[in-house]
Amino acid sequence: MGVALLGMGICGFTPTSTGLSYREMIAKAAKMAYRDAGVTIDQIDGAVSAEEDFPSGYSIADEYVPDQLGMVRKPVYTIPGDFMHAVASAAMQIETGRFDILVVESYSKASNVLTKDEMVRFAFDPVFNRFGLSPHWLAGLELNSFLSETGYAIEEVAEVVVKNRGAALANSNAPYGDNFSVDDVLDSRPVSLPLTELMCAHYADGAVIAVLGTDEAAYRYSKKPAFISGIGWGSGTSILERRDHSFSIGTALAAERACKESGINNPGEEIDAFFVSDTYAHRQLMHMEAIGVNGNRNPVVNPDGGALGGGDMFEATGGARLYEAFTQLRGEAGRCQIDAERLLVHAWRGIPTDSCVVAILDKDRRAL
Amino acid sequence: MSNRVAVIGVGMTKFMRRAQEAPGELAAQAVRMALEDAGLDIDDIDAVTLGTAPDAFDGIHMKGEHLIAGAGGSNKPYMRHFIGGATGVMSPIHGWMHVASGKYNSCLVVAEEKMSPCTPHPAGAFLTIFDRVTEQPLELTLIHIFALEMARFMHVYGYSERDLAEVSAMIKRNALHHPASQVAVDLSADDVLNSPLLSWPVKRLDISPTSDAAVAIIMVNERIARTLKKAPVFIEGVGFRLETAYWCTRDLCYPDYVAMAARDAYKMAGIVDPATDIDFFEPYDPFDYKALHHLNALLLDKTGRTVRNLFESGNLTCEGSHPMCPSGGALGVGNPIAATGLMKIAELYFQLSGQAGKRQLQGPLRRGVAQAWGDLMQAGTVVVMGAEGASPVTSSRWNDMKREDLPGTPIKSVDDGPNISDAPDLRYAWDNGFAISTYLDGLKKGKIRGSLDSRTNRMMVPARPFSEIADLAPVTNYYNLPDSGVVKTFTISHVNWDSSPLPDGEVNIFAVIALDGINEDMGLVHKLGEVDHQNVKIGMRVKAVWKPESKRTGDILDIKYFAPLGRKKTNLEMTQIKPVEVDVLAMSQKQGKIPLSYRYTAGVGGSKFYTDLAKGEINGTFVAERDEVIIPPAMFDEESLSILDPEKDARAINPGSGFIRSFTVVYEDRMGHLLDKEQVVVQVEFPGVTGSIFGMLEVKDGERFYEGSPVTLVKPKKVSGPDMVAFKLSSR
Repeated sequence: MGVALLGMGICGFTPTSTGLSYREMIAKAAKMAYRDAGVTIDQIDGAVSAEEDFPSGYSIADEYVPDQLGMVRKPVYTIPGDFMHAVASAAMQIETGRFDILVVESYSKASNVLTKDEMVRFAFDPVFNRFGLSPHWLAGLELNSFLSETGYAIEEVAEVVVKNRGAALANSNAPYGDNFSVDDVLDSRPVSLPLTELMCAHYADGAVIAVLGTDEAAYRYSKKPAFISGIGWGSGTSILERRDHSFSIGTALAAERACKESGINNPGEEIDAFFVSDTYAHRQLMHMEAIGVNGNRNPVVNPDGGALGGGDMFEATGGARLYEAFTQLRGEAGRCQIDAERLLVHAWRGIPTDSCVVAILDKDRRAL
Repeated sequence: MSNRVAVIGVGMTKFMRRAQEAPGELAAQAVRMALEDAGLDIDDIDAVTLGTAPDAFDGIHMKGEHLIAGAGGSNKPYMRHFIGGATGVMSPIHGWMHVASGKYNSCLVVAEEKMSPCTPHPAGAFLTIFDRVTEQPLELTLIHIFALEMARFMHVYGYSERDLAEVSAMIKRNALHHPASQVAVDLSADDVLNSPLLSWPVKRLDISPTSDAAVAIIMVNERIARTLKKAPVFIEGVGFRLETAYWCTRDLCYPDYVAMAARDAYKMAGIVDPATDIDFFEPYDPFDYKALHHLNALLLDKTGRTVRNLFESGNLTCEGSHPMCPSGGALGVGNPIAATGLMKIAELYFQLSGQAGKRQLQGPLRRGVAQAWGDLMQAGTVVVMGAEGASPVTSSRWNDMKREDLPGTPIKSVDDGPNISDAPDLRYAWDNGFAISTYLDGLKKGKIRGSLDSRTNRMMVPARPFSEIADLAPVTNYYNLPDSGVVKTFTISHVNWDSSPLPDGEVNIFAVIALDGINEDMGLVHKLGEVDHQNVKIGMRVKAVWKPESKRTGDILDIKYFAPLGRKKTNLEMTQIKPVEVDVLAMSQKQGKIPLSYRYTAGVGGSKFYTDLAKGEINGTFVAERDEVIIPPAMFDEESLSILDPEKDARAINPGSGFIRSFTVVYEDRMGHLLDKEQVVVQVEFPGVTGSIFGMLEVKDGERFYEGSPVTLVKPKKVSGPDMVAFKLSSR
């Protein structure tokens, strides 16, 4: 693959963002990204946004994409997927050879959605699965299946929360850093047992922008680019009755493809750290299993604090992980900094899906 | 350079006002047909991409995720793309990216729309496409914005209502031979002119119908295409462009964004003069004028003379030199938004490969172009496809296809079978931010406020904090503006936002008004008042009539309407003001909600499930390919994409033989409030059957349960949806 990450920008990553409209938030992140990438707006060929309708409150959310990116009248479309799906789509677009530089955008104004549980429930199949209950029922059931099928203990799930929220205390972008014990997590308010409140990520507002381009563009414009050496995506079935709720097949498919493109045979050995979706604590463990790294090797996972520490930002969530990974490769992660040359970024679309993306991000372009 | 990409197979359901099938079932039937048409299995498909328009139609948040199984995306790379009404022609473009990039050899491209669940009318979903602060309070809907554009188009290009009625009649006639057609009829222009007036100049028969349908195509790289017996039809050019969302700031008469997308596609295809290099045209035609409006742009002719001449000389008919919408278009075949665009791509494939049956145009055909449009008069997607002049297909089932040969089960009413109702409580409080808070503060004070983009010397209304067309340059100078202006276009509406009629004799007049003293194209949309609708003219001068100060709240409705100004003079002064202070009180929020509810058919599989449930029974569906019985009952198997018949392939399951596979104890209701008493959701499996059923577990005090505990189905007292599915522990 020959697609590079030239620069990124963010705005928000806060529980609320009253002083900024979504347009103002995105424009600020876009200007930051363009400056970071070393490009001007007229050098950008187009945009891909990652948005769904109901989180924005618009019936056709993609209408409101081009203006605050400076992309009016350019080739622009929307991927109703995670930010990382949009990155994958933009990467394909660049690989057709007809586009050199593209911008990828997503945002969350989760604090503006007053009925978030109801909205997530509205994603369930109305015929078979849309109960008059909290949509977290599926996460609770999934956690139960995961524990009984894999042999993980509930304490190990709680440990994910302890670790990620603790790590977030070192990350100035993350609003939810805090000190918890395993008992705090297990004893917190039951939501859908065995799932407790602290095992679920809080929501946050934020905008994320990435500038992608060819390697040539990266070397020409960006002071500190990173390189996508592989990207894959996959989805488990949407029919919940016939899905294995203890395993993320979507992640396994995505990881297999991304690792193959990057020439990685042993992810646990060849990747320095993993930025994986943890919007529910058990999902971090489930995703790591599917990537092919089991708990024994003690890999570095979500050193930024993940979504548990940084917040669930709807479609922008994977973008936040990409931003943190990019910052690590540049050696700019401050107190979260680790030694990193090759990182894995993963995204999951949340319940009721098993749709996932895996990208391998390298500090330097490596020969296969 | 990119790999060449060919279309090698098509499938589609009938286009229907209301389908019995659930969204995934519609998609699966189109996919199965496309696979058979291409001579492939689902295992031959590397990746799947899906196009579908707003979630507000089907009534499912993240509906792309919901459609995975039906679209053939289970356990595959699967991605949805979306660009409003332009989605259907974006679909092959996104499929093209999958293959042209070299990432995949083949891509299944699916477009689905089920508009019928949305009540009171699918048109209601369009209320929330408008800007929530400056436009939604006016209760606009899609008909209004089309009517505003149509009036402007007629005014600038001199088309009469009769001219456009003739276009509607012509396209609907073309659909007489399209097998999927929902509303093909042989109408006259008079029939269109005499149909009910909805929002002048739009009559009912100027508009395409709302529809349920799915279309699928299969795209492969050139290497695979060359191994097949069929002459391949290649994607020669693609283009897609998106205009500003500030739709009142530009002249609606000509879609520059479509022309730009067309130029991109033509450049890639090596087309110099579209009028001579392209043999036939499938412009998007949700309204009759739209076909001509888009064709102007596809022919890159802003003067409109080329299309005007072709229209007047009868050359846009199927027998003419430049056939337009030979498929029968959205007007005749139907308009299940995303599926319509892909139907147009299918038409290029049929025509260029000699599979269009009675619709087949006189050859030889070398090239066709299809286009879709969407969003707030904003999105254009264009695809050019070409044949190589090889022998066209001589025997194709598509040549003789009849409506009854296509899958899909039209029903008259959702009450014709089991169905489920739901009214989601989706509420919001949107942060207005700095610029809009300043704008709304002005309205409260009886002032329209703009901000000055010094880079382009534009006074922008509503006030904006950056220049969307000049490098996002910061904008810091805010002004009170004149509250008078000129009507750029208008519509006289007889319907509400949800398509229900206004009381007899009442009308709403909506107008785009260019404000005085600033650039001509910088306008806003509002109502007109104190004027007989027969006296409204484009170019009329109007002035805002404000509510009394005590009743103003900082809302666009603080302006009651704009009234004719006549020859009266008005204050044209612009005064720079200090914008609002940034503090938590001044940073306003706008409350809102999605005002829709839904009635879903249970689908073919769901109907079997609920019919059985009412009797306390459970049936699975036998899948011959895998020699397995699956539950819940299904009309398709997501692994093989084979079509099943839940009645004929039914296999009885003992409802008392279940056991708990997994469970969870739920403490919160759908809104996140604590339940009075926690509820247990169980996943129940049955011996020898693939799949499971989710339901509530009825637990008596003191009863304990585990994974593996035996359960039996509880026969419900009434059957109205998933909440009625319940199990109890059994002593087996």
